[in-house]
Amino acid sequence: MKSFQFFVIAILFVITSCTIDKTDYEAELESEVPEFYEFKEATSFTSGSYKISIEALNGIFYKGYNELHLKVVNTQTNQVVTPSNVTFLPILSNTDGSKTSCPHEYNLGYDAVNKYNVGYSVFTTESSTATTWKLYVNFTADNQIYKVEKDITVEKQSNKNLNMTSFTGKDNEQYVIALIAPQKPKVAENALVAGIYKYNKPTIPAGVFPDPTQFSYSKVSGYTLKLDPRMPEPSMGNHSSPNNKDLVQQNDGLYQGIVNYTMTGNWTLNFILQNQNGLIVKGTLVSTDFTPGVEGVKSELFIDTLF
Amino acid sequence: MLLFLGMSVNAQNKYIQHDSIKNLKEVKVKSATKNKIETEMKIAVSVDEFLSSSDNISFIKRGAYAWEPLLNNMSTERSMVTIDGMHVFGACTDKMDPITSYVESNNLAAIDIKSGQEGSLHGATVAGSIDLKRKNTAFSVEKKWSGAYQSGFEFNNKQFFNLGNVSFSSNKFVADGSVSYRKAENYSDGNNDVVKHSQYKKFNTSLGLAYKTSDLSSVRVDAIFDMAKDVGFPALPMDLSLSRALITSASYKQLFEEGLVSVVDTKIYFNAIEHYMDDTTRPENLVHMDMPGWSTTYGLVSKANLKKNNYSSEIALNAYDNLSIAEMRMYPQDRSQRTMFAYSWPWVTTRYAGLSMNNSWDISEKSQVNLGGSLGVNYNYSKYVEFNWIFHPGAPQEKTRFLPNLNAGYQLQIDQFNFSVGTGYGHRAPSVSEGYGYYIYNSFDRYDYIGNPNLKNEISYEGNASAGFKNEKLSIQAKVNYFYIENYIIGRILSMGSPMNYQSVGVKGYTALDYSTLFNMSVNTTYDILEHLHWKGTLTYARGLDDKGGNLPFIRPLSYQTSLHFMHGNFGIQTAVNGDLAQINYSPEYGEDETKAYKIWNLSANYTFNFKNVKSVVQVGAENILNEYYSTYADWGNIPRMGRNIFTSLKLSF
Repeated sequence: MKSFQFFVIAILFVITSCTIDKTDYEAELESEVPEFYEFKEATSFTSGSYKISIEALNGIFYKGYNELHLKVVNTQTNQVVTPSNVTFLPILSNTDGSKTSCPHEYNLGYDAVNKYNVGYSVFTTESSTATTWKLYVNFTADNQIYKVEKDITVEKQSNKNLNMTSFTGKDNEQYVIALIAPQKPKVAENALVAGIYKYNKPTIPAGVFPDPTQFSYSKVSGYTLKLDPRMPEPSMGNHSSPNNKDLVQQNDGLYQGIVNYTMTGNWTLNFILQNQNGLIVKGTLVSTDFTPGVEGVKSELFIDTLF
Repeated sequence: MLLFLGMSVNAQNKYIQHDSIKNLKEVKVKSATKNKIETEMKIAVSVDEFLSSSDNISFIKRGAYAWEPLLNNMSTERSMVTIDGMHVFGACTDKMDPITSYVESNNLAAIDIKSGQEGSLHGATVAGSIDLKRKNTAFSVEKKWSGAYQSGFEFNNKQFFNLGNVSFSSNKFVADGSVSYRKAENYSDGNNDVVKHSQYKKFNTSLGLAYKTSDLSSVRVDAIFDMAKDVGFPALPMDLSLSRALITSASYKQLFEEGLVSVVDTKIYFNAIEHYMDDTTRPENLVHMDMPGWSTTYGLVSKANLKKNNYSSEIALNAYDNLSIAEMRMYPQDRSQRTMFAYSWPWVTTRYAGLSMNNSWDISEKSQVNLGGSLGVNYNYSKYVEFNWIFHPGAPQEKTRFLPNLNAGYQLQIDQFNFSVGTGYGHRAPSVSEGYGYYIYNSFDRYDYIGNPNLKNEISYEGNASAGFKNEKLSIQAKVNYFYIENYIIGRILSMGSPMNYQSVGVKGYTALDYSTLFNMSVNTTYDILEHLHWKGTLTYARGLDDKGGNLPFIRPLSYQTSLHFMHGNFGIQTAVNGDLAQINYSPEYGEDETKAYKIWNLSANYTFNFKNVKSVVQVGAENILNEYYSTYADWGNIPRMGRNIFTSLKLSF
């Protein structure tokens, strides 16, 4: 009987000893990729008796695409007012004195339900000692025009799934492609949303700074963004996924397609941008061969993601 | 089938029906059941070696350990392997851990193999069932200890094993316990080259306690714990660092002296399996990858035996819940970079509940009719269904299937001749890998496999027949069976896929062929040349075709075995030659190439003596005496089999 007791003790001992833990998949996705839902005040300024507050996700302006909410409050009555003719212009100053902008919504629309003006800005660089961003906001309230300006800080976007790229196309135009969704991809079919913007070269000479005609961007229309996602790691041998869909323009002007991620990790979204006539603006076909041990060659137009 | 019924009744009622044991012993021999865990050549065998001595079992071998049994030339998805009727599911996506690897020969009493739909008593099957029956000592009037100890050494791979088991029985209480440990190093092939990564270590222990609660009832609890470490799989790009299984059950048995029902045996069970693959032993691997797997099963099996006049029946209720999880985590060359992760089994739950029944009637003294069937409900749920959606967008997260199975047979005995015919019809649900697997690397054809949640049930139509003759000296038994399998599930190349595992060449998705056919045949002959000199010969042949007339993979070519056994007093000597002819009907589409013919010659001698009350057997023998270099049609990656192996063993029992 002693031996039996020994067995029981031995079994209990082995059962309770440690093993490899199962991956907590949901928690791991959570910790690796932040996802922000909440708009918080990123900057504010006052002009006369009005306080203008600009809200962004997580209260921070990031490099890349930022949806912006602009609220105007009368500081005397503490009431939210509905301004009109709200314009928004971000200007990037370089130490060499050059002034440029980035894709943005100049005339902000009004969301009557939430009582704020809505726009966006695709900041193309982070703020640094050499590059500073300033916002120029105009609005009309009580039939009076207000013009305000404010320095802001644009921070690094640590979520690679909201990466962006800017380039000059074969048509000699300047383009920006910014990823907008998903913030937190899954190993699944993900609806991939991107904004594709073009710099509108000024046709008239510059007026008084800041002259919006010199800093105009627009969403391109009728283009197609062809997609080929691949894992660039040499060990992944140029691995790709099935059932991806090219990005085409939606009613809101943004481009939407499907990216199918087969596993977590580093991915490269290889793109080919075609204009409305099917001509290639930028991008090259990538090899579809499985090449273990060799780092995947990327398209000349790509954005890296990671989750 | 009555034979089986009779046996299982007997096995359960040993302590009540002592006198019936003798009558039934002969029956056992006739049926497919092996009642002693040893082969003719070897007294100390592993479970795999023992199973391979059965006609309708062949093996896929990925190394020296954990062979995957093929029943009727069909892999484990199509057969059902249970331990005392309990469902246990391996935790390895690469099938490196068939259930047979979690038991040891010294805790088994018998292995019950049923072909085709006759095996549907424990659930839906196509190929049949393999039930591993644990040792289960009967209650005895007097207190009794018994036990056995086996030890041995095999020279080729320096395998050293120690197996011990002990039983105690009394009027009220019974205990069975066993411990075993095997350790083997790399084996050498017929060219005396070491086959790297073929080592293994296995520890197994089991304990069973039974208590008689009344004259006609008893309770029993059982547990098996199995642990394998540092197991090499030469045919795979990775090894096993640790696998563990805990298999437990508690049962209550009630006997009835009168009435239709003779016994009801109800068991609840739980088993948990962990399987951790390891590729750090393979420096040639480009990418380091963790592939742990877990499988947890809860279940209930309740059986009742009915008997009245010339009718007998066995009714079984089976229910289980299994959760299978397997992960892949790949490490980039720069380890500070983020790892890459995916589920190869995305938390797949399988629930099954089914009621089955086997009935038999003795129409006359010479003939018997069997009729059986089962109806089961199979439910699958994939927790992280997004992984399945990558290749099958919009596939349902859960799926319920109904699995009917039917079988009928007729047996006739005329003087020295016996005949039987039978037929069967049955459904099976796709396995976890077939339904929900995700980038499961198959190193045989070097494809990554993707499961398909929308697969239909596989439907088998089966016919079988046998004929035999037996007199005092000679016995001949021939068996054939034929399967027509609708929606035959097999992997097909997916052009849309891109491989994930760096060794693979492409992606295959599980799809269903319209149908496939399988034919199995065996002839067994024994002849007593002299009183102490016996000859036995076996011939098997199988052919499997897909719906285009192409060959199915893993179908055994014509194989033969012939053996002579001589006994004199306490001395025994046996020799056997076995082999396969060339595999000409191979399937290049599924990664096979032509395998050459081979033949193996084995020889062993044993001597039995009694030392006080201890019965002792010593055995010395050699397998593959001619040191032939060969690999069989089912050796993964054509890895060579073991060359000449001299083995010695000692068995003491009291």
